[in-house]
Amino acid sequence: MALMQIAEPGMTADPHQRRLAIGIDLGTTHSLVASVLSALPTVMRNHDGQYLLPSVVRYCEDDKVVVGYPAQAAAGQDPHNTIASVKRFMGRGHKDVPLLAGHLPYDLVPAEGMIRLRTRAGEKSPVEVSAEILKVLKELAVETLGSEPEGAVITVPAYFDEAQRQATKDAARLAGLNVLRLLAEPTAAAVAYGLDKKSEGLFAIYDLGGGTFDISILRLQAGVFEVLATAGDTALGGDDMDHAIAEWLMTECGTQLDDPLWRRQVLQQARQGKEALTDQEQVQIALDSAQGVSQVISLSRVQLETLIQPVLQRTLPACRRALRDAGLKVADVDGVVLVGGATRVPALRSLVAEFFQQPVLTDIDPDQVVALGAAIQADALVGNQREDLLLMDVLPLSLGLETMGGLVEKIIPRNTPIPAAKAQEFTTFKDGQTAMSIHVLQGERDLVQDCRSLARFSLRGIPPMVAGAARIRVTFQVDADGLLTVSAEETSTGVRSEVLVKPSFGLNDEEIARMLLDSFAHGADDVAHRRLSEARVEGERVREALQSALSVDAALLQADEKAQLDVASQHLERCLAGSDADAISKAAEAVEAAAEPLVQRRMDSALRRAIAGRSIDDLGE
Amino acid sequence: MRRELHDLMAGVCIQCGAELNAPPALCHSCGAIQPFRAELSLFDVVGLPESYDLDLQELRSQVLQLQKILHPDRFAQAEATTRRFSLEWSTRLNEALAVLRDPLKRADYLLQRQGIDALGEQVKVADPSLLMTQMMYRERLEDLLAAKDQNGLDNLRGEVEDASSKAVNKLHILLKKLPCEQVVEAGSVLRELQFLDKLLGEIDRGEESLQNL
Repeated sequence: MALMQIAEPGMTADPHQRRLAIGIDLGTTHSLVASVLSALPTVMRNHDGQYLLPSVVRYCEDDKVVVGYPAQAAAGQDPHNTIASVKRFMGRGHKDVPLLAGHLPYDLVPAEGMIRLRTRAGEKSPVEVSAEILKVLKELAVETLGSEPEGAVITVPAYFDEAQRQATKDAARLAGLNVLRLLAEPTAAAVAYGLDKKSEGLFAIYDLGGGTFDISILRLQAGVFEVLATAGDTALGGDDMDHAIAEWLMTECGTQLDDPLWRRQVLQQARQGKEALTDQEQVQIALDSAQGVSQVISLSRVQLETLIQPVLQRTLPACRRALRDAGLKVADVDGVVLVGGATRVPALRSLVAEFFQQPVLTDIDPDQVVALGAAIQADALVGNQREDLLLMDVLPLSLGLETMGGLVEKIIPRNTPIPAAKAQEFTTFKDGQTAMSIHVLQGERDLVQDCRSLARFSLRGIPPMVAGAARIRVTFQVDADGLLTVSAEETSTGVRSEVLVKPSFGLNDEEIARMLLDSFAHGADDVAHRRLSEARVEGERVREALQSALSVDAALLQADEKAQLDVASQHLERCLAGSDADAISKAAEAVEAAAEPLVQRRMDSALRRAIAGRSIDDLGE
Repeated sequence: MRRELHDLMAGVCIQCGAELNAPPALCHSCGAIQPFRAELSLFDVVGLPESYDLDLQELRSQVLQLQKILHPDRFAQAEATTRRFSLEWSTRLNEALAVLRDPLKRADYLLQRQGIDALGEQVKVADPSLLMTQMMYRERLEDLLAAKDQNGLDNLRGEVEDASSKAVNKLHILLKKLPCEQVVEAGSVLRELQFLDKLLGEIDRGEESLQNL
């Protein structure tokens, strides 16, 4: 599409250049983006040289959305409209986060489905908030790369369930990113390390981020990374250390206020104190008590280690479980990789080294390692093939179906390598039964109420038979991203029903419809859907490009050219509302043709500006 | 009619019509990925001869080599049909590795290929000696867990592991020649091995709960 690809001379993309793709580590406390530039995975820095973007989004009074450090700085004054650690809410309902709700100063909207946060910009779903973070990272990438990346790999904690993975994918789509793959964070870290060192063996990846803990056991052999087992806790992280320290600080200064502003300040003080104690033995923390009296509290490293010990200890059972699931002993592990800012804490390093009976690997910055690995994988997925690299993931949590009496029957156990498929036969329990309800669950527990409900759907049109005569074959197919499709079929008659399991909390119907169109990857109508979806995307792109070009350079057109362009663009508008792929494509082509004079003149004026050696910005100053 | 067409198409590339070599996932002539065909056995999928006696290293490296070519990540930008074929093959490769590398599942699969469902729910076998053994082992495990006796648990694990290897050895003999002729004996050894596997899992979980106390 020619319309918007106007680059200043000298900035023009080299046609033989590698295809551009990015890796994004969408973290609880920080997020960052990396790409393989000149064969080297590199994190991208903003104008201030920073690469860590605090995962904080603020909805300001002037309708602006601010992300990152400015938002974080305002968190103290504007807690209800400043959302931090939103990752903890991704794909989560109210009952999932009772403890968090007490800790965090947000105004949660009581509703079914995914949590919503009440802000001055209206009710926001975690998906929308995360999309704001991703948009900023995408902009940084576009700026750095000089053009749109073809696709992105987004990392998720290995332990993320279906709903959380889907929410992450939805957020990326909302931010206008083409998601090539969701990648488990530990796997990404291993990619970064494995390729640097060309080593083979068994690795434990211990990843304690701001809000999540993962332990994964990986095998690297002949260029194939295999996740052998994974375990962890989606609600455990460095934040918990901060909360523990903050609680202690509040006790020390003798105040326990509910004031969110104050709590937020104490929490920030706690975090800073923890970070300072990485290099120092003792820090002084000045705390403003609510009465406005300032108090100085002294925190030693020993004291800190006592405070955070419970958090550290909570990571060990998962380490044991992962080893056991992989069928390994501590002695089998050839290397331990530390990931996540929270692993800088010296007490943690020694605890992990002690548990695995070996020194831990920390060569790569634990904040960057995941994004770097994601960038390497993204680079491979857009076709800059590294024939030697393949990542095999496992299913993080078991998938099952509800059976009689509120019990869950596991169909695919956790830690099964994906992609995976499994079929199970069920039958009717009543004479003449013509419909059957299918309830898909995820989790390790035996009771429906203890597992996460992923989807319910009905298989209708079963021919009436005596009880037990129908043969209902339910097939689960998990793709390489860990996303699930369930289909059911009555085998004697061939009656079929299929759902792509998409817990689409937090998005309105229109968005869901659009996303569904984007993601129809299965089924008989596939080709038609795909064509329509692609035509729509292309049509939208042309429309948006035209609008943005006209908003700047409409004056470059003569009246008759403008009129022609308007006719073409109105026609495109009408076609986009319909569902005829060919009509949309033709209309988009017509707009491009009519816009030809505009494109030509914009290019000329861009050239003139460059030749003059001054840009519009310079002239304005 | 359709059935005949299906058979006619077996063994040739959907794109160029060239004959397919084993394993028939990719056409060696034009490189096109082929649809997965339900009649292919797990051994066909990995391109190894059907046998209980399997070199696990070879199985693993064969699966990894094929995954490198067939995994959906290799077709991230391809059109939907190609991606679906890739998903199917990759799924079957994972299944083949999981089933064939496990001595219990591999034996069960070979018997199922002969139409014998030795572990199915329909098989309600009263094998008194196996039942007795099961009860004794379970009681011992409960006592050891109640007494938090780690040494005793280690001993029990050793015994169960020994019994497992013996059962696997028996299966190697019974399944040497395929199709298996002593299906009754094979089925009974299979059920014993299944019990021992489960017991090992229970010992693991018991130990874990002791460690996490």
